[in-house]
This record gives sequence, C-alpha cells and structure tokens, in this order.
Amino acid sequence: MKRILAITALLIVFVGSASAQTFDISSGGTPTITGALSGSVSGNSSTTTDLNVTINFGEVGPANTNAIVKVVVPIAIRSLSPYKVTATVTGGTNVNLQALQRSDVGFGVNNMRGTGFLSRNCNNSDHIFYSPFTADPATHITYTAAGRADYPGNLGDIGTSTTILSGPTLSFLFGGRFSSNAHIFDAIFTVMPQFYASGTTTASVTFTISAGPSVPC
Amino acid sequence: MNASAAAQAFLLEKKMKKTIRLLLVVLTMTVVSAAPAIAQSTTGTVSMSATVSKFVEINSGGGVTLSGNSGGGITTNGTVNNPLSVVVNLGELGPANTNSFVTASVPLKLRSNAAYVLSLAATVSSTGSTANEITSADVGFGMGTIVRSGVGVNTAGTDTNATSGDPTLGANGSVNGTTGRYNFTALRSNLSAFSSATTALSGSFIMNAVPRSNTNGLTVPALFAIKPQFYETGTTTIVATFTVSAP
Repeated sequence: MKRILAITALLIVFVGSASAQTFDISSGGTPTITGALSGSVSGNSSTTTDLNVTINFGEVGPANTNAIVKVVVPIAIRSLSPYKVTATVTGGTNVNLQALQRSDVGFGVNNMRGTGFLSRNCNNSDHIFYSPFTADPATHITYTAAGRADYPGNLGDIGTSTTILSGPTLSFLFGGRFSSNAHIFDAIFTVMPQFYASGTTTASVTFTISAGPSVPC
Repeated sequence: MNASAAAQAFLLEKKMKKTIRLLLVVLTMTVVSAAPAIAQSTTGTVSMSATVSKFVEINSGGGVTLSGNSGGGITTNGTVNNPLSVVVNLGELGPANTNSFVTASVPLKLRSNAAYVLSLAATVSSTGSTANEITSADVGFGMGTIVRSGVGVNTAGTDTNATSGDPTLGANGSVNGTTGRYNFTALRSNLSAFSSATTALSGSFIMNAVPRSNTNGLTVPALFAIKPQFYETGTTTIVATFTVSAP
C-alpha cells in the first residue's frame, strides 16, 4: 500500500511538471482552400503539431472568375483553466488604396468542437467568439458605397493582441498534446477577386492562447 | 475493534487499493503517452499571400447605331457586356446614296485595373481594280466621347484619344481640291493609319477595387464613316480588330 502511494505521488509530481504550461495551441487538422486560381494552402494534418499554415490565395484580380477565395484553417487549443485566444496581424497594407488591403481579407472564427474523451465540455460557461469575427465572411458579404466588397470581420479589425475567443477550461489531463484533449475551432479567411491594383501582398496572423476571463466550468 | 468493524476496514482498504491501482494505470498511461507529445506552444502562425495581375478587357458597350445608309443594316448587333463581335452592312456607298455620310457607331466598353492601351488594326479590301475603288483611306475613323461613370469606376482617371474624334466633323476632312475625292485628312482619321496595330486610345486604370460582377466601365464609341462617292463598283470588306492591353 505505501509503495503504491509513493509511486502514485511520484507520477503526480511528474505529470505536474510536464503540464507546467497549461495552455497550448496547435494545428487542428488539414486546412482547405476553395475558389482559388493558382492558389494553395499548406499545413500539418496532425493535431499534435505546431500551428504553422501558409496560405497562397493565388490570383485575386478579376482574372479569377470565382466568387470568392475561401480558406478554412482548423486550430486546436488546450488548457487546464479558462483561456482566451488573441490574434495579431502584421503586413497586409499597401500605400495604393486600390491595392489589396487588410480590410479586403475577410476573417471569422466558428465551429468549436471537442476532439475526444480528454476534451473537457463545461456546462456552466460557453466558448465565446468575439464580434466582429463571429460570422463566416464568405456568406456575409456586403458592399461599400464605392462598390468594394466588405465583411463583418476582416484583418483590418485585428490590431495587436485582439481577443477573438475565450471560454472555460478546455482539457482534462494536460500532459502535453494529445489528439483527444483539445478543442478545435475554424479560422476562416476570404478574399473576393476584385479589380485591385496589381501587385503581391503578404500578411501574417499570429494566434496566442493565454489565461482568459475567469469563468466556471 | 469487533469483527464487523474489522471486516468493514478490510473492505475499505481493498477498495482504496483498487482505486489507487486504477489511478496508477491511468497516470502511467498518461505519462507514457505524454512523453513524445510534451511539445507545447502558446502561439501559432498563419502566413498568407495573394497576387493581383494586370487585367484588361474589352466588351461591347451596347447596340450599334447605323445612319445615312441606303440599304444595308446591322447584321450582328452588339450586346452590352458581351464579347465584341459586330457585323454591319453599310449598304450602298455609290452616288445613289445621297446622304452626306454613312456612319456606324460601335460602342466599346473597357475595364482594367492598370493603365491601358487600346489599339486598332484594320484591313480594307475591295473587289475593284482601279484607284477608284474604296480604300482604307476612304473609311473615316475616330474614337468618340469617352465616358467614365458609375460606381466603382475611376472617374478621376484620364484618357488620351489618339484619333481626331468624329471623322465626319468638318475639321477632320474635306474634298481634295485637286482630285475632287473626299479625304479624311486629320490625324489618324481614316483606316489607312491603322493598317497595323496602332494606338487609338490610352489612359489610366479604369476600375477601382470592385468585383468583376460590377458591370460599369469606360465606354467609348468607335466611329466609322464613308462618304458616298463615285467609287468603282464592287463590294468592300472592312475588318477592324480592337485590342486592349496593359503595357
């Protein structure tokens, strides 16, 4: 009996050490792209690998006759306490106002789901997607008075560490990344082909998970 | 401790051992499976790029207007926002046609996200065999009034008409005092100036950043005119090919 207790205590200490970092963000699966002309998206399909996705929207001038280029990036998150996810954007600006701008890239988050028996489903708090990023930008397009496509949420609405999501504890045991102890949500990026000024535009969005508002599980 | 209490304690200890064993198994499994998956990160990155290529297009700006004709007519009319493919029969061009000019106005619609150049290459072939047949110099040509209007159009853009405009204007032609033949004399006012691809119009980008579904653009009529004269009898075929490019 004493021996069993000692071993158990050691294991608890070891697990405690492994989970010193109680927040994690990783790939949530294979990203997808539709409506692209010479575009692509690459990312790791494994939910235990780092989130490192590269999107090439391809041609987004009028030569692309598709209605919209849409990319869905699944993102896995894990935590042992309430969390929040923030986004920070860099790049995506052009001096020429007719060129592609941050506001021309629609952005939204939705579709939170657990990944397995170690995903913790809390009944007393919801996972909250923050406005204006709650809609799928591909299905909520409007037009400005100038005729330019507009979205409820876009990269222009993201500054530095803009909160896009928060909620209660995400995982049970948290000794690291497992395929079964995460929640996954979709980050959606869209660009409608338009008569933008010619050129190439690059941007980067960094997602960060950290301690969020204290909410019960 | 009586026998009953001892039995209860024994059962409790047995339960505890079972629970601890189960816990041990779970923890062991967790640690074992955690070992290769310890990697964690609180940040992840999505990098993106997009390309916009120069784009130009020419379409019909609407129906053709034919006037001053005797006989003839519009065989294949233009349909706005559709590919430009127009066929016009100018009718009688000999002295039997007493009108001053036979004119055809063909509306063009241009769209681009970059500076554009509209060029024209034209061929004129007649069945005649003398200098009195209709030649390319007898076909007046010019680009008419350029209109940039509508939502999404770069209305501040500027255009340069490389032709002299309406070829029927008095300033653009007259009867040759020596030969008596009517000549279109102004700069690029007849098709002889367009025997090979030659700029007829150029300008700054036409469309602001709006979707292709926006049907607005720059409209301009291409004006063709022939003055009925004592030409050699026969038929004449005129083919004018417009090309827009983004240099």
